[in-house]
Amino acid sequence: MRLTLFVHPITDLRLGGETRIEGTALTVGEEELRGALLQDSRLESVAFEVVRAGEHARIGGVFDVIEPRAKQPGDGYDFPGAISPMALAGRGTTHVLRGMTVAVLGEPSGSVIEMSGPWAEWCPFSALHHLVVIPNPRPELPRHMALNARKQAGLRAAAYLARASLGLPPADTEMYESDGPSQPRVEGVPRVAYIAQVHSRQFVAEVDEQILYGHNTTGMVPVVLHPNEWLDGAVLAPNAGLNVLTYHYQNHPILTELYRWQNEGKVALVGTIATMAGGDNFDRDLNCTLAAELTKWALDADAAILTKTGGGAPHADMGYTAKLLEDMGVKTAVMVGPPNLSPERTVESSTLFNYPEVDAIVFNSGGAYFELPAAKVERVVAPSPEAAEALFNLEKLAASRVTGVTSQQGAQRLRALVY
Amino acid sequence: MAQITSVMPVAKMVGANRVIQGNGIVSPVGAPDLPPEEEKKLRERILRQALEALQREADANA
Amino acid sequence: MRVVHYLNQFFAGIGGEEAAGAPPEVRDGAQGPGRLLQQLLGPEAQVTRTLVCGDNYAAENLEQLTAWALDRVREAEADLFVAGPCFEAGRYGVATGALCAAVQQQLGIPAVTGMAEENPGVDLYRKDLYIIDSGTNVTAMREAVSRMASLALRLLAGEEVGPPSEAGYHPRGLIRDAFVEETAAQRLVRMVYAKATGAKYESELRGAVFPKVPAPPPVIDLSRAKVAIVTDGGVVPKGNPDRIQGNAAQNWGAYSIAGIDDLRAEDYEITHGGYDKRYVEEDPDRMVPVDVMRELERQGVVGKVHDQFISTSGLANPIANSRRLGREIAKKLKEDGVDAVILVSA
Repeated sequence: MRLTLFVHPITDLRLGGETRIEGTALTVGEEELRGALLQDSRLESVAFEVVRAGEHARIGGVFDVIEPRAKQPGDGYDFPGAISPMALAGRGTTHVLRGMTVAVLGEPSGSVIEMSGPWAEWCPFSALHHLVVIPNPRPELPRHMALNARKQAGLRAAAYLARASLGLPPADTEMYESDGPSQPRVEGVPRVAYIAQVHSRQFVAEVDEQILYGHNTTGMVPVVLHPNEWLDGAVLAPNAGLNVLTYHYQNHPILTELYRWQNEGKVALVGTIATMAGGDNFDRDLNCTLAAELTKWALDADAAILTKTGGGAPHADMGYTAKLLEDMGVKTAVMVGPPNLSPERTVESSTLFNYPEVDAIVFNSGGAYFELPAAKVERVVAPSPEAAEALFNLEKLAASRVTGVTSQQGAQRLRALVY
Repeated sequence: MAQITSVMPVAKMVGANRVIQGNGIVSPVGAPDLPPEEEKKLRERILRQALEALQREADANA
Repeated sequence: MRVVHYLNQFFAGIGGEEAAGAPPEVRDGAQGPGRLLQQLLGPEAQVTRTLVCGDNYAAENLEQLTAWALDRVREAEADLFVAGPCFEAGRYGVATGALCAAVQQQLGIPAVTGMAEENPGVDLYRKDLYIIDSGTNVTAMREAVSRMASLALRLLAGEEVGPPSEAGYHPRGLIRDAFVEETAAQRLVRMVYAKATGAKYESELRGAVFPKVPAPPPVIDLSRAKVAIVTDGGVVPKGNPDRIQGNAAQNWGAYSIAGIDDLRAEDYEITHGGYDKRYVEEDPDRMVPVDVMRELERQGVVGKVHDQFISTSGLANPIANSRRLGREIAKKLKEDGVDAVILVSA
């Protein structure tokens, strides 16, 4: 299956009367977009702000970050199952507005995009332009409905903006093609699978929480997905965040890196597994066992990379799945961290699993105990004036609070060294 | 030493030799759901296993 | 630079195991490996005193030895304290670790030692000290002392020590943060490729090392053996007379079951907080199986059931601490003539 991205770079972003792209400048037709989003009667109002790369600004209360993308008509639907009818994602052509995001805000406790200052270099979003979407759900709505309304507003805005590029020639084309597990084994070219948790059952998913093709994953066991499905809107960040962003599913650091290696002839990316961290021992054992067996028997992988969402229990699931794979002869590499588990920041408290065979570990640092000074900003965009006020004069910010710094999707460049 | 535990992976991980499966975390050599006579028989079974392990070479136990 | 060096009876040339009871003594100048140490520390350095003590004496009188050693180091106005290297010798390593930690903490001067990974001293003191990885082979003495000397010089100069792989010490388990150019994704793909193709790779985290525990030989004749019951399930006499903590217990207790055929609920309580204790509270034999063990004793299956059971709490107990508890319990049971142990864990 092949996915083609038509990339339209955006170097300037502004609000205006009519939505259009001229060269690499995007004007967002504010009223038109508002009208489209307020078709969801759960929203009372919606506000928009533009924050440009390089501004001395801070965006707070971030709920999710989404790259504007739209399917070429006929090649599927935008964020299928979530805001569109169900259709297989990951094939045909998708138009991408690159160089910007839709940053949808939610509760004030959400993460912070630092556009300047010491964190900016390490925050993946400081170099991008943002259309900040601030949906205001009706106050009487139950929390889960408000969250869903916000998420959908963000997704709809992202698709809407990208549709402005339909019919325009792309500046760049990217192709992602994988023949999946049926491709013949090639001597010296390891068959690699990627196993990602998309949710953790330490948190009970809301009934309308949309994670996998709009499904909330409750009651699910692991499934096999084509790598392109992740890149093309099939998987979304959960309500609780868990250090996962929709933007980094669309631009998945691990999948794009595996594709890069595949293009160089070094590996064969044979497929992926979407799984969930267990809610109890039985759930854990079931999901870990099935994820491992799908990797071995459905994907016929020689090696697998594993990541988790969230914290401690998911970490144990990931370790156990890796151990089961090693027992089956599949070589694994796992990503752990950050070492949040205790303020003393020692290794012993970071290792909730210990299987000698699971010995290829990438160790992320950061978390709540690593802080850098916060930037002096001229402007804060936040879900409410009170939230903005609280975020204006910050002294420092912990890694766990800055959007994209702590990343369970592999975007992280803050490492833990063991001394 | 022979160890009776219900969490075998940990015992194996830290290198214990001669590890016997216990009957549950809350009652390793007990069975509250069984009538007292049966429970005692189960306790004896587990202990005999442990004692047998003591009399065998360590690798005899998986 | 004035250096004080600590050696055990063997490396000081007094004798082997038979001399392990040697009391502490001070000698002038460098002894044994201390000469090499002095040489490798450079012309400015002088090992002015060597403290020597037998391993058994040290193990049995660690507190007094530590106080004595601190006085000697103070007297010598030492700039640096070096102990060992101890290689695999466990009593030596534990004593050395204690001495180095005390010197460092109370005298504020650098302390350096060297041990093999398996040495219990590493586990106990790695977080507090720089312990050079000496390996187990005494023939690698020169390499070990050389690394100890380099590390000591850096500490004295107040220089950054560098990561464990560079400076040759056992990872202390302390986490430091570093911004790097490569994303975690890039490092993951590189690592899994290396592992899948049989190439070398370096994990960013090494799991705690659990060295092999040598299995004692089987009990030849159980019908003549004395068997003791040990538990980490935290069963203690009502009132918890030894105040064994439920969490990260620092101590253990030995409780008499002389003449007792069956543990009664009213006599015991559970200090371990990590499992639902009501079933064991109802009948402590469910964790400490005295009733059945007495039966088996009567039947002649076991020779004798030890008249005490040992208890502590395994909940959230750091590995190094658990190792210490295990060693102490083993020592006591050996003194009591116990041949075998049944350990019942929650």
